[in-house]
Amino acid sequence: MAIEIISLITSFVLMLIGLYGLLSDKNIIKIIVGFSLFDTGTHILIVTIGYLKGKTAPILDNAVGLTDVSQKIVDPIPQALVLTAIVIGLAVTALMLAYALKMYQAKKSLNIGDYKTLKW
Amino acid sequence: MDLISPIYIIAVSLGTGFFMGMPGKNLQRISFYLLMAVLLFNTAVSLQWLYALANQLTGPMQVFTAGFQPPFSINLLMGLNEAVITSMVNIAGLLGAVYMYSVLKKIGTGGQVVYLILLISLNVIVLSRDIFNIFVFLEVGSIATAGLIIFQKGIKAVSAGFKYMLASGVIAGLLLIGIIFIYRFTGSLNIDTIIQENPVFKQGALISVFLILISVILELKPFPANGWALDVYQASHPGFSAILSSVIGTANLYVLYKFSGLASETLFYYLSLIGLVTFVGSNLLGMNQDNARRLLGYSSVGQIGLLVAVLGLIPQANSNFKIIFFGLLISHYFAKAGLFWISGIVKKSGLKSWSALRKKPVLLFLFISFILALTGFPPFPSFFGKWQLVLELSAQGNIAAIIAILVGSFFEVVYLLRWAGYAIKLEPVSTLKIKWVKLIPVLLFGVGLYGAGYFVSQAIPYGNTINFIPLAIVAVLLLLDFLPAYIKNIISISATAWFAYLLFPDAGTLKIIFIVIFLVGGILTLIPGFYMKGKREGFYPSAMLMFGGLAQLIEAENLLQFFFAWEIMTIGSYFLIIRGKKSMIHAFSYMLFSVGGAYLILLAFGLVSMGNTGIGLELLSQIKYYPGIAMALLAVGFMTKTASLGLHIWLPGAHGEAESDVSPMVSAILLKAGVFGLILIMLAAGGEQNNYQWLFYTLGWIGALTALVGNLGAIFQEDAKRLLAYSSIGQLGYILFAFSMMSHMGWLTGFTYTINHFMFKAILFLAIGAIVLKLKTHNMYEMGGLIKKMPFSFIAVLIGIITLAGIPPLSGFGGKWLFYNAVILKGWYFQGAIVFFAGTIAFLYCFKLIYSIFLGQLKDNHRNVTEVSFWFLLPQYILIIGVMVFSARPDIILKPLGATLSNIFPAEQLTWNGTTALSKLGYWDATTIFMVIGIMFVILFGWLWFMSRKAQPVKQFNMVYSAERPERPELTHLSHNIYAGYNKALGFLVAPGITAFWSYATNFFESAGNFIRRIYSGNGQSYAIHVVIYTVVVFIIYLSTI
Repeated sequence: MAIEIISLITSFVLMLIGLYGLLSDKNIIKIIVGFSLFDTGTHILIVTIGYLKGKTAPILDNAVGLTDVSQKIVDPIPQALVLTAIVIGLAVTALMLAYALKMYQAKKSLNIGDYKTLKW
Repeated sequence: MDLISPIYIIAVSLGTGFFMGMPGKNLQRISFYLLMAVLLFNTAVSLQWLYALANQLTGPMQVFTAGFQPPFSINLLMGLNEAVITSMVNIAGLLGAVYMYSVLKKIGTGGQVVYLILLISLNVIVLSRDIFNIFVFLEVGSIATAGLIIFQKGIKAVSAGFKYMLASGVIAGLLLIGIIFIYRFTGSLNIDTIIQENPVFKQGALISVFLILISVILELKPFPANGWALDVYQASHPGFSAILSSVIGTANLYVLYKFSGLASETLFYYLSLIGLVTFVGSNLLGMNQDNARRLLGYSSVGQIGLLVAVLGLIPQANSNFKIIFFGLLISHYFAKAGLFWISGIVKKSGLKSWSALRKKPVLLFLFISFILALTGFPPFPSFFGKWQLVLELSAQGNIAAIIAILVGSFFEVVYLLRWAGYAIKLEPVSTLKIKWVKLIPVLLFGVGLYGAGYFVSQAIPYGNTINFIPLAIVAVLLLLDFLPAYIKNIISISATAWFAYLLFPDAGTLKIIFIVIFLVGGILTLIPGFYMKGKREGFYPSAMLMFGGLAQLIEAENLLQFFFAWEIMTIGSYFLIIRGKKSMIHAFSYMLFSVGGAYLILLAFGLVSMGNTGIGLELLSQIKYYPGIAMALLAVGFMTKTASLGLHIWLPGAHGEAESDVSPMVSAILLKAGVFGLILIMLAAGGEQNNYQWLFYTLGWIGALTALVGNLGAIFQEDAKRLLAYSSIGQLGYILFAFSMMSHMGWLTGFTYTINHFMFKAILFLAIGAIVLKLKTHNMYEMGGLIKKMPFSFIAVLIGIITLAGIPPLSGFGGKWLFYNAVILKGWYFQGAIVFFAGTIAFLYCFKLIYSIFLGQLKDNHRNVTEVSFWFLLPQYILIIGVMVFSARPDIILKPLGATLSNIFPAEQLTWNGTTALSKLGYWDATTIFMVIGIMFVILFGWLWFMSRKAQPVKQFNMVYSAERPERPELTHLSHNIYAGYNKALGFLVAPGITAFWSYATNFFESAGNFIRRIYSGNGQSYAIHVVIYTVVVFIIYLSTI
């Protein structure tokens, strides 16, 4: 199987597993793990979209050379995007964990169902 | 012109942000001021662009970063739209920081930087043309939001923040997938390039377009996938909730606007229906809220939903698109921020605790202004926005959308005005301490709201025809509200006289009648105000709002002027009615019926404008589409004001509980506004042979039954003012019946009734009101024997009821004579018989009124009462002169009126021979009757007086009491429950069936809302599931529309 197909499938499977965990698990930490998986899935997807068969990473060094660059490398834009997306994902995950800590400190529970004081 | 490039908004903010983050104690001390400086800078940059672009001193500016063209670089666009939105963002950001001064100081540099980052991110998502860049800064904004939510201490804020993060995490994932695929299919990240590629027509790209649009829509909190947002509104620091509602919503909305080009117009139209569903659903649920901030959250979600709908419903090429969109947006922006800010001053969350505002008139005024802006009343931008929106939707023939918008708006009115009522009326339980830093932003936004209202009014078609002078007078009175009442009364009377003077020269006979009723009546009912001591805060601005509205109603030449005046009058009367001690609930129900009626009128005006050019009032006679429905809607709309059967339940409480001088205003005068409206449509229907026979036939029946039910209701009242109020219902029934005959005689009858009711109801309500003020009770059984204490009031009431009952020689008899002629000529015998029967019932309550109050036994505690105030008697006696003149010489009015009416109803006219009126059926000489009865009265009275000079005066208790043993104090009054027998026979007719119907309807909607809102279970995970399910459901619908 071609690598782009494999990574495409991987990315979607990861996203779905992550989403499932996010939506079904009651434990806040596991929910955050689910989110992380979902996020990683999207990152793999981004890289896959930019992949061109038989081409190398878009890093301009001696191995690539400076001639015919566009023929040798994969699309650099998704690569740039995924870096940004990873950073954002990191920030969001960190903040979620900080929230989890705060919630745990307040109620000594990691069950998301215990935080329902605001409703309707 | 050299302008600072918008890129500096980002650069300077980022630089300052990093600098603020550096360690150092001195830096921390000044960091707040650094923050303020950079926010001020950002505001200045966006405002200079706004100024330059609005005045066309420069063109829009594209900024390319790093010297590359897209997609290799990010580009920003500063056009007029962007200038407006970034100005809104930065101004609110700046004032928000002022408002949050103490909390930002306390939290320190970290929190300040997060706040700054949020504002950068909002600027970027507005300016950027790069779709991935927008994604990044949406995320930055989400992270900053999550940080700012916990400015408020406590687990509520923390759990709300986590719910928010979960939902926005899922949404961000969807957006990211959408973006990467759109890049895959178009090879670009630049919105403009992508739009040129028309991805929506490319196989496979459709889903990426869908994902992008749905995730932006999800960011805008569509109902019902928005539980996470509501918690955030409720739990955050109010200063931040203000930003969240007014600014973040605005910026996200603009992102949707930018992306709207991705979809085809039809597709986007369907997506925008999400907005309509949100508007209706969210407002339905809002009705059940009693937490102020959560309620504001529901309202925010609803308003943003409406704006989403506008984006899709009105093509952006439409020349009025911008004024509709920005008109609605800017109202929401000012009002929501203002209300959230006030919520931080009030502190307590329960709606009822907002009564604390009562002691702070400035804040109360601002609060009410914001509420009225949200509910779309004039002179706020939302009024004009909604008006134009309805016209444009009518032009498209999209009536369903109009109905949805009006239904949603109505729900919103319900809960916002209930809240306003609490603030105005309930006893304050706490006192507020207001810090200046918190008041200034609210004050500035209040000013901005009014300014924007004027600006938008001038920008919509025909908006410049609106006369703002009455509102200016109201504003002056508001500013002078600290003065004693009598000074303000003089100003108000002069202003009313001046309106009349301005209107008089151009008016025809029909309008002159209404000028007299509205404005001369206004002056007469203002006179008792001289009796009132103190300042009477808020009374005069409200009264002038009502009279100004009434004056403009007469003046109106187009639909917009008419509707504007109608709404102004409604608000003014609401504030007048709610002044009564127990009036909160009655004013509220008055307002609900009025607003409901106004929306029907608006819908009808939309239908009227369909297929026609312009909006002149003459279009009412040339309705092209659904003329019958439009006319019926108008009729029902106007009948909410005339309190016709089915729509009358608000009246007894509203009129009965109003202040003594307000009751005559709203009863004798305001009800005639409904009559004015009905006459307007009947004139437009065109003469006897019109196309709406079925409608007027129905109205005739409604009028007859209203007369019966109103009068029957009156006889069972023990409360004098409620008796008069029910009597008004009945009298307005006569009037409706008479005009519905659509004949010459019918209209003469209608006008005679209208004039009579104006005069005698003003006399009666003034007299009774003054007595109530003196005796401090409305209950008639607590009165009695006042004839010798208050002879002048007695004479006034006597003349009032003689006129009412139609006893010769007074003008009520003239009305009856005309009525019988009209009914017989028209052939409406059966309805006529009902009205006749109702007339005999009127005798009963007239007797009860005068007997219970003035005759019978004087109560012990009234031995020392004296005649009522001169200021109440003066207008009564002026009106009595009016009654006498109209009774003796009705030809003065009826002759020219008949001449005018003969143009409309040429058949079966009344002819005049001197003072004798001749109809097909007979003649009537009012002058002779008046003289004869007058002379007989004088002779008999003289003779009686002569005969009784030797009579022995009997003391009050020189009598034998019958064998009855009264168990309750009221039973000692002979006239208590005097008509019990009638109640047994006919009481079922006034059984509260109609009230039961309306309360059933209310309960239905409230419990529906209560049921639906249970989906907001409070579980953050469920909210994330809602987001996913929502996306899937919309996707399925989306596929089916392709």
